[in-house]
Amino acid sequence: MFDCNSIAKSILSAAMLAFAGFASPALAAGSHDGGHGHGGADIGEPGDPAKVSRTVEVTMEDIYFEPETIDVKPGETIRFVIVNAGDFVHEFNIGTPEMHTAHREEMMMMMDHGVLEADRINRDKMKMDMGNGQTMEHDDPNSVLLEPGETAEIVWTFPAARKLEFACNVPGHYESGMAGDFTFPAQQSSR
Amino acid sequence: MRDRVSRIAAGLIVLAGMVASPLAAAATYQLTVDRVTIDTGDFTRSGVGFNGASPGPVLRFQEGEEVTISVTNNLSESTSVHWHGLILPPDQDGVPGISFDGIAPGETFTYRFPIVQAGTYWFHSHSGFQEPDGAYGAIVIEPEGREPFRYDREYVIQLADAHPHSGSRIFRNLKMMPDYYNRQQRTLLDFLEDAETKGLGAALADRGAWGEMRMMPTDIEDLQGFTALINGHSTEQNWTGLFAPGERVRLRFINSSAMTYFDVRIPGLEMTVVQADGNNVQPVVVDEFRIAVAETYDVIVQPKEDRAYTIFAESMGRSGAVRATLSPRENETGAMPDRREAPILTMADMGMAHGDMDHAAMGDGSTDSGGMDHAAMGHGTPSGGAMDHAAMGHGAMQTPASDPFYAPGSGLLPGAAEGGKFLSYADLKALSSLYEDREATREIEIRLTGNMERYIWSINDVKYSDSEPIVLQYGERIRFKFVNETMMAHPMHLHGMWSILDTGQGKWDPAKHVVSVAPGTTLYMETEVDAPGEWAFHCHLSYHMDAGMFRKVVVEGGPAASATELAEHPEVRQEENQGERLR
Repeated sequence: MFDCNSIAKSILSAAMLAFAGFASPALAAGSHDGGHGHGGADIGEPGDPAKVSRTVEVTMEDIYFEPETIDVKPGETIRFVIVNAGDFVHEFNIGTPEMHTAHREEMMMMMDHGVLEADRINRDKMKMDMGNGQTMEHDDPNSVLLEPGETAEIVWTFPAARKLEFACNVPGHYESGMAGDFTFPAQQSSR
Repeated sequence: MRDRVSRIAAGLIVLAGMVASPLAAAATYQLTVDRVTIDTGDFTRSGVGFNGASPGPVLRFQEGEEVTISVTNNLSESTSVHWHGLILPPDQDGVPGISFDGIAPGETFTYRFPIVQAGTYWFHSHSGFQEPDGAYGAIVIEPEGREPFRYDREYVIQLADAHPHSGSRIFRNLKMMPDYYNRQQRTLLDFLEDAETKGLGAALADRGAWGEMRMMPTDIEDLQGFTALINGHSTEQNWTGLFAPGERVRLRFINSSAMTYFDVRIPGLEMTVVQADGNNVQPVVVDEFRIAVAETYDVIVQPKEDRAYTIFAESMGRSGAVRATLSPRENETGAMPDRREAPILTMADMGMAHGDMDHAAMGDGSTDSGGMDHAAMGHGTPSGGAMDHAAMGHGAMQTPASDPFYAPGSGLLPGAAEGGKFLSYADLKALSSLYEDREATREIEIRLTGNMERYIWSINDVKYSDSEPIVLQYGERIRFKFVNETMMAHPMHLHGMWSILDTGQGKWDPAKHVVSVAPGTTLYMETEVDAPGEWAFHCHLSYHMDAGMFRKVVVEGGPAASATELAEHPEVRQEENQGERLR
């Protein structure tokens, strides 16, 4: 048990750096900072609901998204309606593969601290002070974290064409394939 | 009789083709059981295989289909095929003397059963020592709906422990001299070292205890001298699976060894375990896992670099290992990691750890306290007192582990070679439950017992030939309490029904077909008794099974379900299942 603690501590300190925004851009961009503007990757930004061109419904199942690819255009604003139809907690998160990798460490920490359980989110624990004024709140505009049966919306304006994924970073989910691609016109024609 | 079944079957297939029948597609498969040559690079010998090869083919089924498999025996002795882990009628289970009479030389037996599950399984002969002699193959069943996971490629990774001696010769030798194949016996020099590190008295007392158990601290693998294989290939023969960097690759690990547990890792890659024994589990990311004999684990990996990766399977007792390669190109070989030192069993593995080992006091790695200092058996950090697994000689990178499925202080406690997470049974949680979670209706104690001196392995001190069957009633939920009174791990396999391993997760307790009971531990599994008929129940270590660690289980009551009735009324069993099974 002692060793678990020390491992958790090292994860914790790494993650606190990320929360505090001191870490590398890729790490800091792990969705807890609004997605852009920190010198990290340009993944787009929260969109103006008045400019929404269309609505895309994304269903989260155990352990996959439906659909698994979404065609988008540069500058397009899309309303995503995200439904967790599974029995487990799932996330819908817009980012680059590197951002997702960094964010998975935060999600692992949430699980280690009992904030996240397989089928429920202990939202009260998210507000826990991690010792430097930072918390484990999961409230960034590029992602939603949903319990089974919950639904949420994200309005998002896409950047210029680039490698962009939507992903569930609940520990083990992305790794076993719960991720999908946003494809831009050039990528669409090359398919 | 068999002709009648196959004619009925043919009729049903035609019918299914003409009307929108609920009967899914039916397919026919052919297997022959043949004498084959096994060439490991280290040795060449005559063995047994399927369709002219060992391992046999990968059989790919579709959930919901009705399979017809004709098996022709080209050997000069009786044979059989057991479909390991498949839920099927008792007369299709392929155990001579329980399910049927076996397949005589020159005869063809036609198996016929519905496929009611999906996942990774395997098949093997259940006759004599044909399985250790090479008669095994893989089964992959595609699910009716979509896979819950997404991957770009998949490979079966089937492990085995090919031995230069035939199974019957090995068994004869073990019966004659149980330590015949133990090459890691402790020497006088070890004893002198013990005496030096812990004092003559303690060293003598220690020796005395082991003598009374008729076991030795190196009794982890009672069969050494094997060549470990992956898909029939030794390290030098280097089985290779191709990938494109960035792809997700599903690896379906099956341990078809006669006697050998393996610790499996892919240096440089995390593995996400998504299935155990054919049933999906909530994904868990690990760096290494242990696969008991006859278990299966499916993992997904995502190799991102344009280079060769090594799949490395090291035997639990470290007397053997095998490397295979995942590579973007043919003809590359993954690097060979260093082998770890052989573990040494401790008093905890004897079941002598009477609670005086404070688990919480472990893990600092610096204590010098005495007490249970058998762990300091002359290897690793000399000052490693108490029950410090960290000091078990595996270097600083080893994760000091604790695992509720091993005796505290056990010499077999696993740790990840490169640091990080080692899978525990405690991590296995069903992705979806096969059965409603409910109280067991009855508990049955199964003591795993043995007399190493005479190579007798038994259950409740009675070997199979002297035993009465275990009688269960249809509709019961039995809680099996396994008490391992021996110093070896035993992978217990119940045929015909699922073994729901109690990991304390309630509705998420995983349904398996093999549960490994570590030395000096008690483990519980529960079984929904939903399969009438007679079934085998045994330790899956081939020579333990043959020595007598085996029982017949008889399920009384409930609807009879033979292949014939099933063929005539396929809907009957389906409806029954809907009542109890959640899927």
